[in-house]
Amino acid sequence: MSEVAITTRSRGVARLARKNPLLAWGALVAAALIVVALAAPLIAPHPQDAGSTMHPAATLQSPSRAHPFGTDMYGRDELSRVVYGARVSLSVAGLVLIIAVAIGVPLGIAAGYFGGVVDNIIMRVTDVFLAFPALLLSLALVSVLGPSVRNAVLAISVTWWPWYTRLARGQAASVRGRQFIESCRALGVPRFRMLWRHVLPNSVTPLIVQVSLDAGGVILTAAALSFLGLGAQDPTPEWGLMVSQGQDFFTTQWWLVTFPGIAILITAMAFNLMGDGLREVLDPKRVLTR
Amino acid sequence: MLGIRTRFLALAFAVLMLFVLSNCGSTSKLAQVQNETFTYAANVEIMPGGWDPSTDYSSELIAMAQMYEGLTRYNAVDKKVEPLLAESFDSSNGGKQWTFTLRSGVKFHTGRPLTALAAKAAIERTIKLGQGAAYIWDPVKSIDTPDAHTLVFHLKYAAPLDLIASAGYASWIFDTKAAGSGDLGKWFAAGRDAGTGPYTVDTWQPGQEVQVTLKAFPGYWGGWSGTRYQRVVFRYVPAATTTVQLLKAGDVNAEMQLTPQLWASFQNDPNFLTTSTPSYYNFFAMLNTQRAPLSDVRVRQAIAYGINYDGIVAVLKGNAVKSSGIVPAGLFGHFDDLPNYTYDPTKAEALLREAGYGPGGKNIKLVLTYEQGDNFEAMTSAVIKSSLAPLNIDVGVRPLQWSVLWAKTQASDLSQRQDIAIYGWYPDYPDPASWFVNLFETQNPPVYNATYYSNQTVDRMIGEAMKLTASDRPKAETQYRDIQVKLLQDVPAVPLVGMVYQRVLPRSVSGFQDDPAYPDVVFVYQLTPVK
Amino acid sequence: MRAYILKRIGLGLVVVLGVVLVTFVIARLVPGDPAVAWVGLHATPREIQQARHTLGLDRPLYAQIVTYVKGVASGNWGTSIHTKRPVLSDIGSRAAASLELVVTAMLLALALGIPLGLVSARWHGRLPDLLVRLGAVVGVSMPTFWMAMILQLVFFQRLGLLPVAGEYDPSVAYLNPLVLYTHVPVIDALLNGNWPMLQSSLTHLVMPAVVVAAYPMAVIARMVRASILDSLGEDHIRMVRALGFSERAVFGRFALKSTLNPVLAVTALVFAYSLASTFLVEAIFDWPGLGMYAADSIRSLDTPAIIGVTLLVALVYVGSNLIVDIAQAIIDPRIRLN
Repeated sequence: MSEVAITTRSRGVARLARKNPLLAWGALVAAALIVVALAAPLIAPHPQDAGSTMHPAATLQSPSRAHPFGTDMYGRDELSRVVYGARVSLSVAGLVLIIAVAIGVPLGIAAGYFGGVVDNIIMRVTDVFLAFPALLLSLALVSVLGPSVRNAVLAISVTWWPWYTRLARGQAASVRGRQFIESCRALGVPRFRMLWRHVLPNSVTPLIVQVSLDAGGVILTAAALSFLGLGAQDPTPEWGLMVSQGQDFFTTQWWLVTFPGIAILITAMAFNLMGDGLREVLDPKRVLTR
Repeated sequence: MLGIRTRFLALAFAVLMLFVLSNCGSTSKLAQVQNETFTYAANVEIMPGGWDPSTDYSSELIAMAQMYEGLTRYNAVDKKVEPLLAESFDSSNGGKQWTFTLRSGVKFHTGRPLTALAAKAAIERTIKLGQGAAYIWDPVKSIDTPDAHTLVFHLKYAAPLDLIASAGYASWIFDTKAAGSGDLGKWFAAGRDAGTGPYTVDTWQPGQEVQVTLKAFPGYWGGWSGTRYQRVVFRYVPAATTTVQLLKAGDVNAEMQLTPQLWASFQNDPNFLTTSTPSYYNFFAMLNTQRAPLSDVRVRQAIAYGINYDGIVAVLKGNAVKSSGIVPAGLFGHFDDLPNYTYDPTKAEALLREAGYGPGGKNIKLVLTYEQGDNFEAMTSAVIKSSLAPLNIDVGVRPLQWSVLWAKTQASDLSQRQDIAIYGWYPDYPDPASWFVNLFETQNPPVYNATYYSNQTVDRMIGEAMKLTASDRPKAETQYRDIQVKLLQDVPAVPLVGMVYQRVLPRSVSGFQDDPAYPDVVFVYQLTPVK
Repeated sequence: MRAYILKRIGLGLVVVLGVVLVTFVIARLVPGDPAVAWVGLHATPREIQQARHTLGLDRPLYAQIVTYVKGVASGNWGTSIHTKRPVLSDIGSRAAASLELVVTAMLLALALGIPLGLVSARWHGRLPDLLVRLGAVVGVSMPTFWMAMILQLVFFQRLGLLPVAGEYDPSVAYLNPLVLYTHVPVIDALLNGNWPMLQSSLTHLVMPAVVVAAYPMAVIARMVRASILDSLGEDHIRMVRALGFSERAVFGRFALKSTLNPVLAVTALVFAYSLASTFLVEAIFDWPGLGMYAADSIRSLDTPAIIGVTLLVALVYVGSNLIVDIAQAIIDPRIRLN
């Protein structure tokens, strides 16, 4: 049964992607970005410039054939740094979403499945965390924890998990009332197994949609933190940090702000297009919450 | 229905945009106002600590220096103390007694005259409040006023009171009776001043862009002959790029630091004057002399040879100049011909190899801390990390908030302390002692000495130099030379670079001279507007 | 009805208490000694000790929590380390500028977002829809701080059409002084009948407002589109169509109504988000509001101020959500049953 379901679904996805060019483009660009991140050493013209190497004699050169995106205030090749920046942004987004799902989903399933007091407590806590705009809470957290990529990942995760709790809770609650769960319970299947076998698989589709929708938001938040000096630190080639470093020069050396900014925009767009398209295809009833 | 509404909205929008974009200012009147107003753009809040001349200890200086005056003023060009409210001053008893003769005919903005008693009361209030830079008066035991224009200071120990009285903080003379029977602190806090300076407060709008406006004080002792600015406006403009636009539009006459690139973009502009003056703000890599491997003097020397100073100067694009010794240029005790270190990776490698490290030897891992948010220190640290990497020295750079960084330097758990701390230092009054006492004298427990260097000979030499400063300044200079030679041999800290004040002023402003003893202050009264 | 509203308010209060506790925990996470930050460089140990007492740091933790919660409730939000003034009065003096910016941006977002959403739904699946959807994705994917700088480059540096930053031109303000009623220059200029100031403040408002509006506009357009498409499938709309009403009437009179609730809800949501995005935008435009205050506070690790602004935005969020919930319940009684 499952085999049939998968083949029909994948064929369906291909057809819908043709009908949905935005999804196709988003997925294509996102895939390309992942390739760029993985193959950064091969693509970047000066891979060592993404690290602590600097060239004080060649600072702030405008775009040329040797340096298509120009050089920064330490004389580093901006193109190489933008290319390596894909690694930073994508791994930050990946880590944040893994942590958020790992915290949020079990809590949500517990809330939805057990209901009652457990549900009440968990949901009030998520309400509290959802009362802070993501940027704001992570910003307050990192500003007291100290700036670093690690702390930025932690802080953004802290602001992101409640969304997954809500999502998983809804799924778990809807499954709970179904006939087969009641039968399993009557047959004496252990609770843990029941959750694992039946509740989790039902949450996968909306989870995929939510994760791809959120990737863009996480990348933007991380970039914003770095822009405020609260995320990655030099020499890490983080796009938000690069825009922030370029801010002092943007009227005289426009390329330092422009290129990393476009990189952020394209990456966030790719994931948003993909998430949006996936939602329409896989989970059309879900209304956008953010 | 929808269509009509849309069309109406579009029309309204178009009308609004037309109105907004049409230009109908009264240009000539504007130009006249601009010509007698001096506008200063600061990238920090102007009066962050309030208006109290006794306790202010921050960027208030740029406005306070227009409203208040001290007994003396330091001139960095000829490295001499000049009279201000005091017409003359002299020391006796080996620098333990100082006599200041006050200028006559000086009036406070409150209308009352400046007398010896009034000046004594102002200084005593500052000492009593004991906040901000009040400690500069610590040597004072008592103040006598033998007549209405003479102040006699009796000191606990010899100290250069002429230099102390020229400080930019805690040195202001003000009318302590300004509030009458009310509370003077509260009176100041409402945004008032009681100084003797050329300008007095007109408006104060905290949190607004135009934060402070000052107007000419007609009774100023220096008089108002000639062409001078009648109003001083302080605008809070955080972004340097905005400041540039304001300069070009003629809305701003002077500013706090621009970025070097923006500063350089004015160099060929005939309408602007670019100045660059070394400041008293200089930077050190404080090396932890109590922990291996930096406890080995050879490793410390290797680091001093291994830092690419020209690289730092290059990335800071003229905003910095390589240090010579500890004392910055423009201050007595500074020498250009000290045995300084230069970038020499070969020598560094040889020294490291001797100590068992270097390329092919044991790897060195060091933790470097600097103050988070300080761009200058961030760029300096990045170059240090980059230039030490080929010597098999891994520098982990950690930006920390000042309070955290400072606590770490003092950690009782020695393993929590840093290996290298980047310190920027400036004196509260123009005296080289500030560097030696705070950064290099034995301190147990450490306060600012993040090198943990402790050398009895150096301690003794510093003490002597300070005494000599109060009585025999040329001899004090020689003493400071000897101390610096010794510190360069032992390298508890690597002198890196000094900050350079780069300023852009429109040609319509004439007579400007940056004075490093008063950071970022533009003494507006001394300027002449040119049409 | 009353029971529902009371329950919503009760839940809101629980969340508010939680928010206050979270901010306290964050404030406690600060490494190093806040007293050192308070007194600054070159301080003596005596001054630090005194500061520790002033800040209440020498008292036990539970006492500090109680004092904190009581303080927040009674309007004592601590004292800013940077400005040395009460945080709440600092916030008060900057709130007007931020409100001016955010409210303008929200009006702009609604004025453009709703029609765009309508267009998108009306020509569903066709070119206008594609363009609006693509535009909306650009809107939510745009790094606000970057957009601000690019607009400055284009509209100020290259075209010279708009002023680069500030709330108004101070020289215009000097020649045409404003009597301040609301501390919102645009409104005060209108009340004064001061046309040069109105012009100056409006031109200064354009760029920052557009930047802040980008995200909410995209979200609103999407929401309008989604809810119209949703309602087009509903029975009563089919009925209306079957009755032969024109497409324009179907959209303008019937479908539009169904978007009222979701648009209200999403507006409340993005309002608080826009307040948070001023943190990135105001400093770039030298806009003297809460965002710039927050950015300054972050730079100087002014924890009481950071916490104060965080708390304020969270409270605004909880409050606006509550208002919308109640408004929705009044408009649409079905909600109460949910």
